[in-house]
Amino acid sequence: MELHILEHSLKVASIAKEGIQICTHGLIKLAFLPSKTSLTEIRLNCWWKPVNNWKRREKCKFFSLTETPEDYTIIVDEDGFKELPESEYLSVAEATWLALNVVSGGGNATSSQPIGVTKIAKSVIAPLADHNISVFMLSTYQTDFILVRERDLPMVMHTLSSEFTLLRVVNGEAVAANSTGVTNGFVKPKLVPRPIIHPLSSPSNMFCVTSLDPDTLPSVATLLMDVMFYSGGAKETGGQSEDSGHIRFFSFSLIEGYISLVMDEQTTRRFPNNVLFTSASGELWKMVRIGGQPLGFDECGIVAQISEPLATADIPAYYISTFKFDHALVPEENIQSVIGALRTNESTGQ
Amino acid sequence: MSSGYKPDILWSPHHADRYVICDTELSLYRIGPAGSPETKAGALPLSEQTAATLLAINSDTPYMKCVAWYPKHEPECLLAVGQANGRVVLTSLGQSHNSKCKELVGKEFVPKHARQCNTLAWNPVDSNWLAAGLDKHRADFSVLIWDISSKFSPEAVPAEKVRLSGDVDSGLVVTKPLYELGQNDACLSLCWLPRDHQKLLLAGMHRNLAIFDLRNTSQKTFVNTKAIQGVTVDPHFQDRVASFFEGQVAIWDLRKFEKPVFTLTEQPKPLTKVAWCPTRMGLLATLTRDSNIIRLYDMQHTPMPFGDEVEPTIIERSVQPCSESIISSFAWHPSAQNRMVVVSPNRVMNDFTVFERISLAWSSTTALMWACGRHLYECTEDAGQGAAAAEKDIATKMRERAQSHYGHDTVQVWRNHVLAGGDDPQLRSLWYTLHFMKQYTENVEQKQQSNKQSLIYSGIKNIVKSSSGTTETRRCWSGSDRQTDVPRYHSEERSLALQLCGWISRGPDIDVEPFLKSLEQEGEWERAAAVALFNLDIRRAIQILNKGASAEKGDLNLNVVAMALSGYTDEKNSLWREMCSSLRLQLKKPYLCIMFAFLTSEPGTYDAVLYESRVAVRDRVAFACMFLNDAQLPRYIDKLTYEMKEAGNLEGILLTGLTKDGVDLMESYVDRTGDVQTASFCMLKGSPGEVLKDPRVQCWIENYRNLLDAWRFWHKRAEFDIHRSKLDPSSKPLPQVFVSCNFCGKSISYSCSAIPHQGRGFSQYGVSGSPTKSKVTSCPGCRKPLPRCALCLMNMGTPVSSCPGTGKADEKADLTRDKKLAQFNNWFTWCHNCRHGGHAGHMLSWFRDHSECPVSACTCKCMQLDTTGNLVPSDSV
Repeated sequence: MELHILEHSLKVASIAKEGIQICTHGLIKLAFLPSKTSLTEIRLNCWWKPVNNWKRREKCKFFSLTETPEDYTIIVDEDGFKELPESEYLSVAEATWLALNVVSGGGNATSSQPIGVTKIAKSVIAPLADHNISVFMLSTYQTDFILVRERDLPMVMHTLSSEFTLLRVVNGEAVAANSTGVTNGFVKPKLVPRPIIHPLSSPSNMFCVTSLDPDTLPSVATLLMDVMFYSGGAKETGGQSEDSGHIRFFSFSLIEGYISLVMDEQTTRRFPNNVLFTSASGELWKMVRIGGQPLGFDECGIVAQISEPLATADIPAYYISTFKFDHALVPEENIQSVIGALRTNESTGQ
Repeated sequence: MSSGYKPDILWSPHHADRYVICDTELSLYRIGPAGSPETKAGALPLSEQTAATLLAINSDTPYMKCVAWYPKHEPECLLAVGQANGRVVLTSLGQSHNSKCKELVGKEFVPKHARQCNTLAWNPVDSNWLAAGLDKHRADFSVLIWDISSKFSPEAVPAEKVRLSGDVDSGLVVTKPLYELGQNDACLSLCWLPRDHQKLLLAGMHRNLAIFDLRNTSQKTFVNTKAIQGVTVDPHFQDRVASFFEGQVAIWDLRKFEKPVFTLTEQPKPLTKVAWCPTRMGLLATLTRDSNIIRLYDMQHTPMPFGDEVEPTIIERSVQPCSESIISSFAWHPSAQNRMVVVSPNRVMNDFTVFERISLAWSSTTALMWACGRHLYECTEDAGQGAAAAEKDIATKMRERAQSHYGHDTVQVWRNHVLAGGDDPQLRSLWYTLHFMKQYTENVEQKQQSNKQSLIYSGIKNIVKSSSGTTETRRCWSGSDRQTDVPRYHSEERSLALQLCGWISRGPDIDVEPFLKSLEQEGEWERAAAVALFNLDIRRAIQILNKGASAEKGDLNLNVVAMALSGYTDEKNSLWREMCSSLRLQLKKPYLCIMFAFLTSEPGTYDAVLYESRVAVRDRVAFACMFLNDAQLPRYIDKLTYEMKEAGNLEGILLTGLTKDGVDLMESYVDRTGDVQTASFCMLKGSPGEVLKDPRVQCWIENYRNLLDAWRFWHKRAEFDIHRSKLDPSSKPLPQVFVSCNFCGKSISYSCSAIPHQGRGFSQYGVSGSPTKSKVTSCPGCRKPLPRCALCLMNMGTPVSSCPGTGKADEKADLTRDKKLAQFNNWFTWCHNCRHGGHAGHMLSWFRDHSECPVSACTCKCMQLDTTGNLVPSDSV
């Protein structure tokens, strides 16, 4: 297994709902017009951008926007961050984050039924939690990104070097990254059971994780803008509220040219046929929302608390962290067993 | 993205005249000659000769991302289309749907999770297998290998689950691939390896190029690289792969897959297509975005594999198939040489053939050879008639002269100009000069040991300088008692000079009569008359002219001249004198002209004679020696010598001799003509001390030898070397190869040459008939026997018995020839590789029919190791 440390320096920010209008200029640019050149080209270029081109700093290569009832969470690289205005509505997590990406290495091609977070729960998330490293998860249609603070990187590398071949992406080329061997002062972790501390809730609506061909993005751009920035208010006035178990949740990410979308089933119906990529089985997902109070960035082990029981039960899942809360997506047919398993964990923990 | 789909182009694998353009729809075209009856009115012109006819359009498959043409003959025109949502659809174009095709057309292959299909490739052997490379999905595979013959999978999704995938005719949908490869990453390009059809080369696997073997998918060979945007295998060299990214192309050798063998120079814009030419070895075409040129890389002469230390030899060219228009895509024609069709973004197509580079080479003779593509042209000099023959190149002339033994007649030296063709007055003069010089050298040598020899070869210029004791005489016109007032000068040196000019023969008498006779024989009437006149024998001159007029094909005008001559009067103011001095200028023949000039000049002022350039130098010099005084003569000779040197006129050798001055003259002659042959032969006769040591002379000689070698005139070369070593003993090379005895280690030839009477090296060793014959089969040092010939099994040193293969009659006729050859037949020869050998004659006849060593159990291919062994000399012995 290979662990790629990507070269994006990421910022995590939150935009308050009422302040969204002052940010839309930048956000639309990041989502739909990432550069003067075409999206396809960015996707092709993303891995091997020559050094001098990096310095042009006009192309944002990592952008994610997630709307929750509370706020908009933005994850964006440093180049893209410059597009956002300074504002009282914009709060930014103080740290710089790095994205990790697990690669199977392609070798054991046949043996991997559990997908997504489940696959890496035991190998990455649990060891990091054991070492008190806080992580921030972002699952997309294409892959899972584990965000860690830049300052934690030596510890991360130390922790994961036994399990993974560590590769650092430099100028688009993956080069071997050696753990510097700083073991001094690192405490051997105590392996304790991880009870679920935060309250869980499960909204009633079902979600779809999907993507689309970047070439067709222009044809649905206005629709996406509507969904991103203008549908929330309309829905609220329409009388639908969280009380009915319905949650407002939408996520758009454009990372290295790949588009990923998470939206509820109702929203997908607004898209024309054949634009959204769907699985052959047409699978749908239900959400488990973690946290009653805003979780903050320092607490560690939250992802592990959720993902480990799921991995044990062999249930595939997506996991999307936002500025305030975490969200896990599990197959609709598994939601009851998931809730059950997590509740059990919760009770044993108390 | 706003520009929409750029058209791509695809040739039919089996119909050399059909191709498909794909953008938003598939259009099938047939290409044919422009203006032919079968091309209809609506045909699109592709080039001056060709036009395309649209045969069919298929717009059943939207969101096309990639297309691949079924590689087998049957069903023809079956296409696989990869779509933006990852589905692969089989479709067809312009077919009356036969049963086999019908079954397949419309079949869809659907991945579990939708995402763009980047690439498609049919397996070249198992043509049911279709590999599709997809974008990445977190939980799905990026390479799916579909079996197009597989039936609808029964465990397909329940109907109510097909919510988002639209209306699907599930009867034709296949969802279960044969193989799945590459999890959690994108596949940007892939191709099957032609060497092993079970192997697949993928690009895009996490910045990897990876080779999977379908028989064991858990094993893969991979290499980390950025160059993953596209891969393509060289059809002519199946281990060579080109992969590219941005503006850079990397060339890989699959046998050394760790790193690219080399990378091509980076282009400023990202590449969009890279394709090997299927009809030409090692030719790679690349296209960058928004460009109107196709760049070609010729790797034909790039060795594969090559070491790290060598710079690859790649010839880079670019072609512009449709002038200013931007190229969207191109495709090589599968069979027509170097031909491609290019298509522009607005679907304008162009038929284009890349012109092959022309390489050309001169042969050592005048033939010229050039190669273009698969054609080889030879161009030889036209054996021209008449005027053209005179314009022959000096190399051709030298070749012909070498074949006629030019320069080798050392007895009758003057004959060499005949061997040279006899049509060059300068050569004629040169060889006569050398002839006279040699003659008188011998003469002097016979008579006395004096210092004259050097004087003669040093030419008239030096001879007249040392002139002393000149006497002046005033003679009567012979045959009349009238006294002339023309002073004539005599001295020993002057008569020597006259001898060198050929006017008088050797010996004490200074009679010019033999010379006149010989001129009469050659029909040089005017010249003879002039010489007679200058010898003050006006009667003889008139007689000669009369003879000339009455001779066969004689010029009757000579009679008129004779009459004019007979009216000669020495009165200063006579009408005759006045008229002659003005009318003589109208005479076309230079000798007649100078005759009257002589008669009408004041004594001592003979410029009209001396500077008449149409008159041979030797005659003017002889004249000067007779009629110029001691002060005038050296001045005139110096002036003439300078002129000759400047002009590179070989007649001047008479003046300069074979001295430093002569080399200067010859230098300007060689500069003018390039005739190193004449220069070499001429200068070889010069004194070894000064002239031959001159670097210019050595240069001419070496160049002439190289020329002979280049013409494969090896026998001529050898003859020249022998000739040279006779004249210049210092040029004889020392023996460089010795045969040493196996027992005592001493050179058998060395001990041979130590005996003074035999001292000729081992080349003559073993010649039969020698009284010491009994001993030559053993080492002269230790008396042990010499090795045996592998063929006759006799000890070396014994003479070769009669040559096998030649009939008796031939043998007798060629007796002298055989005798010559026999010397060589007895030579030692051996293979440097296996060290077997024997008599040269035996070896030669053995290898005429064999390539292997004659020693049994030795498999050495001796003859093939000899690179010059198969060359045949182009001159005969």
